[in-house]
Amino acid sequence: MFVILTYDVGEKRVNKVRKKLKEYLIWTQNSVFEGEITEGKLKKCLYEVNKILNKQEDSLYIYEIRTSSHIKKKIIGIDKSFDDIFL
Amino acid sequence: MSRDFYIFSNGRLKRKDNTIYFIDCLENKRTLPIEQINCIHLFGEIDLNSKLINYLSQYGIMLSFYNYYGYYSGTYYPRKKNVSGFTVVNQANHYNDYEKRLYIAKAFVDSAVHHILKNMRRHKEGIEDLIERIQNERKNIEEAQRIDELMGIEGRIRKSYYKSFNKILKSDFGIQKREKRPPTDPVNAMISFGNSLMYTTVLSEIYKTQLDPTISFLHEPSVKRFSLGLDISEIFKPLIVDTVIFSLVNNRVITFDEFDIEEGICYLNEKGRKKFISEYERKLGTTIKHRKLKRKVSYRMFIRLECYKLIKHFIGDEEYKPLKAWW
Repeated sequence: MFVILTYDVGEKRVNKVRKKLKEYLIWTQNSVFEGEITEGKLKKCLYEVNKILNKQEDSLYIYEIRTSSHIKKKIIGIDKSFDDIFL
Repeated sequence: MSRDFYIFSNGRLKRKDNTIYFIDCLENKRTLPIEQINCIHLFGEIDLNSKLINYLSQYGIMLSFYNYYGYYSGTYYPRKKNVSGFTVVNQANHYNDYEKRLYIAKAFVDSAVHHILKNMRRHKEGIEDLIERIQNERKNIEEAQRIDELMGIEGRIRKSYYKSFNKILKSDFGIQKREKRPPTDPVNAMISFGNSLMYTTVLSEIYKTQLDPTISFLHEPSVKRFSLGLDISEIFKPLIVDTVIFSLVNNRVITFDEFDIEEGICYLNEKGRKKFISEYERKLGTTIKHRKLKRKVSYRMFIRLECYKLIKHFIGDEEYKPLKAWW
């Protein structure tokens, strides 16, 4: 499963959320993560992020795509190609 | 959804923010999400410290090292979590009993030959005589009484198989005979490189199961290597590595520019290795609907299933029938 995750959280928690998400997904832009993940791992990830969030102030959007072959990704400007398996 | 990462640049691998960072020699930083890593392959010159190793061990991630020429030099793997003395004892019993050992060894060879023939039939023009020769040789497998006899049969089959490469490979690539340590021509270099990748993949899958990688059946278990990995790779080499080579060469993805020859040693250069690995990873990720499990299974998973079948055989649950690709 492919997910795109965007968040808008208070300044105090923004680093905590980013660091937690970095363990699971690839950081593509400020407040945007994406990547392949299994359902179980996504659940685990969201559970952990949930503990950091303040539900009155913050929001987290999750876009799930069942098969990554259905994604058409276009990039304008710099392509950072973070999903490359070669470094 | 874990995957393998391949590091070709020089730099430093470190633990930071509870995940893995790779910093290359130009100070470019990149994070590798720890939960997504299956195995990291190091081809470049990498610095790392014990903090990283400890962290990788928590997640059971293996580090494979390759030397300058791209040959496998070793693996760091974490403390094995899946252990079962019962399975190991039974596995050893199957080695000690010559009859039982022969059964498993025959299964490996027969499956390898099945996949070899499958490859050859796909490109059969001009090699009908070689196919027939292998088919005749295959009949001897059943009757073989000893392991070395079996090895002889396998050697002869492979010789005919490699001869057919000249017809299967469409462009100027060709092979005189199989040469390793060191390979002298591009096709041999690709076979060697592919086989060493296969070996690490199989080993990492064995590591996720309870099997003991040192007790093998076809290859003599020796002290210096994990020979069960060699046994199981036998099944998957023609199925995965050779088809990768055919598609790379016949689709003209790989050319002579991707090889370096130094003092008679031929090896893939960095560009070549990257092309080879992308095709290899694509192949491992390809899924096939499994007849028994009734769901889609990737080639990588097929390797693991092979290990599970062996375990079932050892503990007397179900007789081992090797994988014979039906697609």
